[in-house]
Amino acid sequence: MTALTSTQISMGQRVTAPLRRLSRDLSQRTTLKIGLAIVLGWVLVALLAPWISPYDPVYQDLTTRLAPMSWAHPMGTDNFGRDILSRVIYSARVDLQICLLGVIFPFIIGTVLGTFSGYIGGWCDAIVMRLIDIVLAFPFLVLMLAIITILGPGLSSFFIAMALVGWVSYARLVRARVLVLKQSDFVLAARSLGYSHSRIICKHLLPNVLTDAVVFSMSDVVLVLLNGAAISYLGLGVQPPVAEWGVMVTEGQGFITTAWWLTAFPGLAIVLLAVGFSFIADGLSENRGGTQ
Amino acid sequence: MPTPFKRHLLNCCCLGLLLASSLVSAATLTIGRSADSTTFDPINTTQNADNWIFSNIFDPLIALDRSGTELVPGLAESWTISEDGKTYTLTMRDAKFSDGTPVTAEDAAFSLMRIRNDDKSLWADSYKIIESADAEDDHTLVITLSAPSVPFLSQLALPNASVIPKDYFQEVGEEAFSQAPVGSGAFMLEEWNRGESVILRKNPHYWDRDRIELDGVNWLTLPDSNTRMLKIQAGEIDAAINVPFSRISSLEADPNLTVHLDASTREDHLLINHSHPPLDDVKVRQALDYAIDKQSIIDTVTFGYGTVANAYIPMGALYHNADNLSRGYDPEKAKALLEEAGVDNLTLDYVVNAGDEVDEQIAVLLQQQLSAVGIRANLTKVDPSQSWGMLVDGDYDISVMYWTNDILDPDQKTTFVLGNDANMNYMTRYDNPEVTQLVADARLATDPDVREEMYTRLQEMAKQDVNWIDLYYSPYRNVSTKAVSNFYQNPMGRFFLEDVSLSE
Repeated sequence: MTALTSTQISMGQRVTAPLRRLSRDLSQRTTLKIGLAIVLGWVLVALLAPWISPYDPVYQDLTTRLAPMSWAHPMGTDNFGRDILSRVIYSARVDLQICLLGVIFPFIIGTVLGTFSGYIGGWCDAIVMRLIDIVLAFPFLVLMLAIITILGPGLSSFFIAMALVGWVSYARLVRARVLVLKQSDFVLAARSLGYSHSRIICKHLLPNVLTDAVVFSMSDVVLVLLNGAAISYLGLGVQPPVAEWGVMVTEGQGFITTAWWLTAFPGLAIVLLAVGFSFIADGLSENRGGTQ
Repeated sequence: MPTPFKRHLLNCCCLGLLLASSLVSAATLTIGRSADSTTFDPINTTQNADNWIFSNIFDPLIALDRSGTELVPGLAESWTISEDGKTYTLTMRDAKFSDGTPVTAEDAAFSLMRIRNDDKSLWADSYKIIESADAEDDHTLVITLSAPSVPFLSQLALPNASVIPKDYFQEVGEEAFSQAPVGSGAFMLEEWNRGESVILRKNPHYWDRDRIELDGVNWLTLPDSNTRMLKIQAGEIDAAINVPFSRISSLEADPNLTVHLDASTREDHLLINHSHPPLDDVKVRQALDYAIDKQSIIDTVTFGYGTVANAYIPMGALYHNADNLSRGYDPEKAKALLEEAGVDNLTLDYVVNAGDEVDEQIAVLLQQQLSAVGIRANLTKVDPSQSWGMLVDGDYDISVMYWTNDILDPDQKTTFVLGNDANMNYMTRYDNPEVTQLVADARLATDPDVREEMYTRLQEMAKQDVNWIDLYYSPYRNVSTKAVSNFYQNPMGRFFLEDVSLSE
């Protein structure tokens, strides 16, 4: 019976390991800290938007069109006389929403399907893998555009399209990891103890594969952000007059040589948020090689 | 003894002269434009990008002068019209196609019957009035109409009705002709690199060849406006068309460039779908007209380079009514009219062409202005290829579109916009039988004064009914380097490249 208790202890450790790792990372990894600070900073900006933005983001003051930076308009105004700072601030709400919802659905779908596919194997694996092949057979953006065109323009269509297309990367990653973990001692031990499949999946496999998926999602979120901007650029995402960084860059494009502030500030905002997420991803993955 | 050396020297001189002469004569004008041609089959397109090149490589029977307000001889030197107005006898000039074969009345008859009958023709409706076109001899073309029609001569000046060589066309077939056409225009197509460039060479057989100063014209496709403008500022191209409004003043300040703001017949307007209540109520449509501040569109979108539109026949075009009613910006009156009509909480689907800078900017402005009178506009940005279909299907409430006249006579636009024919009055579903009848009558009236009166009345009635909302007129915006002289686009969009010269 001693053998059994030691296995149980070791399994208990595995459940809490990722959390502990995260807290250790936080205290050690500067990149992770910086990344989290940037993203949390944007979250704060988004939450406090109505209080910190100096103007209404859609209010048009046609008397101060294309005004350069000044105390009244720290980032200048656009061709409708709308305050760019206020629009950049309000955009954070839309863009963070894009990041969150654009990642969370593919994350959940991909992780669940990948886990089942890897763990059950056989016909289940075959079906999931063929589904992945089908999705991968089309260029990413083309498939996105096709789905959004069918569903009609708008952010909700974007999220549905993201969910339908984006899950494959997560599924493949998680499946590969599960295939390896399935053969590892602690899983074999759990199975020989007669634990139910659901318990093995939820308590032994998922906690281990989740870290990988989370690390991947942090770099994926940058892509989602850029995709959202691209889709809005094509007129299929956020609809005017709602402010969104990608849309602002598009709208300012015609003025890039005469009024650079229309594109520069929202562009910088995209870069800053993307860098924040990239730092988090880096920070989380830096020690991946060190521990099991 | 010095002979070999002398000969050598002589050779050198000859070579030098040759080089020098080829340098001087290689006057090729490079123009940047936003869209590539789609075809060189004149009957199979309605795109401005196509038509504007047709007028360089093909010749119509009757041409428009530089001012775009008068018909002048084209391939037909002169013409007579019979008493009953049904028979046109045209005398053709001695002209040759770019392959050296003569232009005959037979070619002209073939071309006219082709635009009238061919399945591929997008202009067939406008030429159904032709009963027959026959070549009496090589130089005499007789056209018989089923009914008299005053606009018919203007119709002959449409670039799409240009004369093409019958024999060559039948030899190579439709498909090959649409890619390697032969015409009798000032230039001929040398090369078409799809998506990149259209290379034109001077046509050595052109009937008025002494007039041409250029050896060739390269039309480059540069879709991005910023790129196009940067290239002309860097001197990489000689001219660029379609300057964004926002760039006009900065280009005007450039000492090496000349900005050409040539009068056009472009009118931007807001289409209203009359079949969607409550837009069928004239009061609601008038309220929309009062709710829109046209001057703000001109200030914001066109940077002041436009004029408020007061009639569907554009300023400068034949029979434009300068005294037509123009509803000023009056949100209070708009609200009152809406109340009178018993409409509140009106929500409209506004279809916007995605990627069209002007369209998107107008949308943002109008959305705000409409909300000020309590109308909510839901913007739907769709790809231009899709938006046209939505307008045709009536799947919209409002949408901004524009129109440029193709011919001198107002009949063409009037028929499309008010004549209630196949296109449902330009997708608006506007229906006023009285107006429709007047459009038909105006086409047949022969006395210019009577016609003018009828078209004036039509403009008044359309404004009264608010068939659509006239927004603004704007000029063509082109730019060329100072080395280019005589770069000019007439109101019908024709570039007079045969008059352009290039200095060092």
